[in-house]
Amino acid sequence: MRKSLQVWLPTVLVCLLAAVASAQAGYQGGGSFHVQCPTATVRHPGSTATGGTGTVVTPHPELAEAPYTGPQIRTATKDPTGAHTFTPALTFADNGGAIKCQEISGGDGMMTEADGNQTFMFAFGPLSGLGLIRNGLPGTLFANDFNLPYTAATFNNGLANPNSDGTDPSSATAPGANGAITDPAAIMNTGVLNGSIPAPLMAFDEDDEFFLTLSNVGMIMRPDLFEQHTVHFHGYPNASSFYDGVPDASIAINIGGSFTYYYLAPDAGTYFWHCHVTPPEHLQMGMVGQLFVRPRQNRVPSGNSLYNASVLQQNDLRTSCYPALPATTTQPGPDILCSAPLPAANNGVTQGTDASGNLFKYVYNDGDGSTRYDIDVPIQIHGFDPNFHFVGMTFNPEGFADMKDKYFLLNGRSYPDTVGVAGGPADVLGQLAGASNPEPTTHAITTTDTDSLSRASQPLPTLITLSASGGPVSATCPAAPCGQRAALRIADLDVQEYQTLSSIGIPMQLVGFNAKLLRDQAGNNMYVTTNSITLGGGESLDVILDSTGVPPGTYFLYTPQLDHLSNDAENFGGLMTEVVVTP
Amino acid sequence: MSHLNSKIWCAVRSLSVAVAAVALLLAPSAHAAVPGITGTSFSLNAGVGYSSQPDGVLIYSWGYGCATGFTPVFRPTAVAGAVCPTMQLPGPTLIVTEGQSFTVNLTNSLPAAAGNTSIVFPGLTLVSTSGGTAGLLTAEAAPGGMVTYTVSAPVGTAGTHSYYSGTQADLQIEMGLFGAVVVLPATIPSTCTATEPGRVDYRLAPAAYNHALTCYDREYLTQWSEIDPKIHRQVEDQLKLIASCPTTAGLQFSCPTRLDVVTEPYHPVYFLINGRSMPDDMDANYAPNYPNQPYNANPHMHPGELILLRVIGQGHWQHPFHEHGNHVRILGRDGHLLVSQTNASLLAGRMEFNTDTTPGQAFDGIFYWSGKGLGWDIFGHTPGNTGNPPCHPDANGYYTTHSSPAALIPTYDTSGLMISGAPNYYEWCADHDVPLEANPVGQVGGGGPMTLPDPLIVTNGLWYNGTPYLGPDAVGRSRGPSPLPPGAALQNPPPESGIAFMWHSHNEREITTSDVFPGGMLQMMLVDPYVWNIDETL
Repeated sequence: MRKSLQVWLPTVLVCLLAAVASAQAGYQGGGSFHVQCPTATVRHPGSTATGGTGTVVTPHPELAEAPYTGPQIRTATKDPTGAHTFTPALTFADNGGAIKCQEISGGDGMMTEADGNQTFMFAFGPLSGLGLIRNGLPGTLFANDFNLPYTAATFNNGLANPNSDGTDPSSATAPGANGAITDPAAIMNTGVLNGSIPAPLMAFDEDDEFFLTLSNVGMIMRPDLFEQHTVHFHGYPNASSFYDGVPDASIAINIGGSFTYYYLAPDAGTYFWHCHVTPPEHLQMGMVGQLFVRPRQNRVPSGNSLYNASVLQQNDLRTSCYPALPATTTQPGPDILCSAPLPAANNGVTQGTDASGNLFKYVYNDGDGSTRYDIDVPIQIHGFDPNFHFVGMTFNPEGFADMKDKYFLLNGRSYPDTVGVAGGPADVLGQLAGASNPEPTTHAITTTDTDSLSRASQPLPTLITLSASGGPVSATCPAAPCGQRAALRIADLDVQEYQTLSSIGIPMQLVGFNAKLLRDQAGNNMYVTTNSITLGGGESLDVILDSTGVPPGTYFLYTPQLDHLSNDAENFGGLMTEVVVTP
Repeated sequence: MSHLNSKIWCAVRSLSVAVAAVALLLAPSAHAAVPGITGTSFSLNAGVGYSSQPDGVLIYSWGYGCATGFTPVFRPTAVAGAVCPTMQLPGPTLIVTEGQSFTVNLTNSLPAAAGNTSIVFPGLTLVSTSGGTAGLLTAEAAPGGMVTYTVSAPVGTAGTHSYYSGTQADLQIEMGLFGAVVVLPATIPSTCTATEPGRVDYRLAPAAYNHALTCYDREYLTQWSEIDPKIHRQVEDQLKLIASCPTTAGLQFSCPTRLDVVTEPYHPVYFLINGRSMPDDMDANYAPNYPNQPYNANPHMHPGELILLRVIGQGHWQHPFHEHGNHVRILGRDGHLLVSQTNASLLAGRMEFNTDTTPGQAFDGIFYWSGKGLGWDIFGHTPGNTGNPPCHPDANGYYTTHSSPAALIPTYDTSGLMISGAPNYYEWCADHDVPLEANPVGQVGGGGPMTLPDPLIVTNGLWYNGTPYLGPDAVGRSRGPSPLPPGAALQNPPPESGIAFMWHSHNEREITTSDVFPGGMLQMMLVDPYVWNIDETL
């Protein structure tokens, strides 16, 4: 009796409410797409006058970052539009940062498995930074770049773009290939069947304001559905539930609508993002993406002490790890979750530049240079159950209880497609030699969709190439020859089981876990040197591969869960990729 | 449920959500704490009962409970209605004190065909046994018999532990024979707070360990396990067969007398927290509709409160427990505090947003939520607005008793109404008054970066309070003349108006109950405003 009452009473209620809502939508004209990306905010006003006192750290937040030299206290008495005044004035600890934007579609798409099987997905696709995404790069843009018009010749559905100026749509650098698509018709003409795996890559800097617009373009392969979508920024510390993307705790975006998520960039680290609507379904079906936040330490001017930069971060209460330990009656305790306590000792390391003159990059605000790296390698571990995807494409009920992954994916590809770089090395069976897929310039794998048009479905290979002598002298390598270091930003979005990744020949140094530097409260680095890491669904970590002293050759990252070295029926492939070390 | 047409979709999806809806309507504020029994002598029973699942299935199970005639002492005392049936899932949580010994008398009331049973206490010291029969791992109780364990919790074992069957564990633990032991530290650090004025204390102790950085304000225990119903069905069927076997001479030669259950391949379809699947885990502790599943999983907290998570993996599998809202600082594993090797007064455990539950392993961790670093005022404060409270940052940047002038700690009357104190206690002051929305709405000012979406193009969640903000004051001010949007705030209406976070297994298949989503290993954690008294007794 209890069960049946529970089932029926609220069912009537909820469906009634849904009916009321849709009726309202009918006469008010329904939803609409709406993309937001301001060029000035009260937090990042740039040269716009906002009254108050103090100096704005970033003079042009719409197009450039500023060096990090510690927080500046600043007040504001009005917003950049001048329409709103603040009495008393607002006070900001200004650490720099900029305004970054990105736009994505929520819909569907097809991808190609390593055995040639085409698989239907619920998926996110790019609606800004299309050229960058297609080249395997983050699609996150400064506001000025985002707000430029999209001028490539055609939309993804083949229709002519009236704003075309002949821009190559696969260019990572042409502004017209990367500007946001904001016109509603153009959003549909591009977003439908535009989904990719992984979902569009996002990367921005600590202290940025990030405006992420999700436009729900519907799933043309499943016209029976009215699925909402959301973005869950997985791991965002002290999140608001409003922007947390859980439909039960917030709002979810209906077809034809847009929602702009707003995040003040949190502590540096490797996070990821995914849809949170019916997670066992939408994640299995492919709505999973990668995201990382670069540390303030990347913006420390060349020659400045990294330790001192760490000390400066203690002046900003958001990142301060102190005051005293422990609490007393007159003194609060420390933040038990603070990200980066000062290193146990000052090792005197200063910010440096690489051979190209670029400032060193770090995974975290380490204060000692120990997480410096040369190459970002975002790696998403995932699994697809072909039966679930097939059932999901054919208007039938998918079962959860018997879900079983048969494809094991690194960035949406199984071996040998993981090393699928046009012109790159052939795999051990020579299967890639002469292959026309992936695309020769972007390295994206394309899939011919049901409308016979080919779209970039899997833009990210995981072939890692490191020069054993091409790295700079730095805190982690005091004398040449120094090898390049790769930061593997690994996130597991598998919904069914744990996954292990092993490294043969090159040790893994685990420096971060779940978007936190591995360091104890006393400042001791708790890094782990290992040859394998294991993640459950929803976990991320940071591994550095250092090629210093590694003999040139081809090495492998692969799973020792041997049944995962398969592509469905093929007893070959799966969760494996290659690391090529050159002299 | 994308596979169904819209009408069926609506019916099916709302089925499970609706179960939660009604469950919570029955008990609108079911909170959790860590309920259990305490003392130095426990008389437990291993018995037979049924596990109730939200898809309507009752699953034949075995579990520990309180032996007939044993009068347990319940903790925390503020949680009313405590019961300890002769069989429950998980078994009674045993609350003991570091440095002391306790005895457990175990009576085996399982069917004779199930054979012997026992309890092992990993991480604690088995001093002696008596009255049982010899077993592989420990002394066992024969069918209908009894065994007594004398166990000590030596100094250094404070924290969370498990206990479970040490007999034919692949079957008996799957059937439900497991529970928790909470060892309270013998010495409480002097810096841990006593109960704050006007607040009922639901803690078992002010600290998890004898260490000043393990003080906490609230605590929740979750035990994570699975059920493969095929195993349970085999047991039930075989027992019926055994019981119905003819006893007539000459006819009983083919009758089995012992269970012969195939436990592999293991294929669980029920994924449980504290023996319940979502949404049943949101009902109250000791809710009468789950006679054999007394413990819930329904965490609530105020901003800034330090929440001790006691977590045990009890099943066959690991589960990536994802805490939305913030990271967890791991304090220790299996009752061993992780401290810095160069300074034992500081912690060394990792900070994780996914805390793996591992079979046979327990961990303790500290979680909090404060809204620090959001970049906008979670209370929707507007400069100069009438009634806008102050926010004076303490040394950490929060508005607390350490601020100058100090914030008043909220106090409540017996009905739970806040009678004094700062409604924005523990506000992150750097974001005080910073607007979110570009244009003013109601009495929430504009000038922020965002234009919120047309309410007609979004779908509202059951736990959504109707606004981005925290607390009934902000909800009221930010709605202006507009009513709450349809479908919103059904589970979280004013005057609670908290903000909700899902705490769940991120192997997402496990947030289903058999083939139904949502279900399984899923809790909704609520951050409640200070004006809302969190009453764990409800």
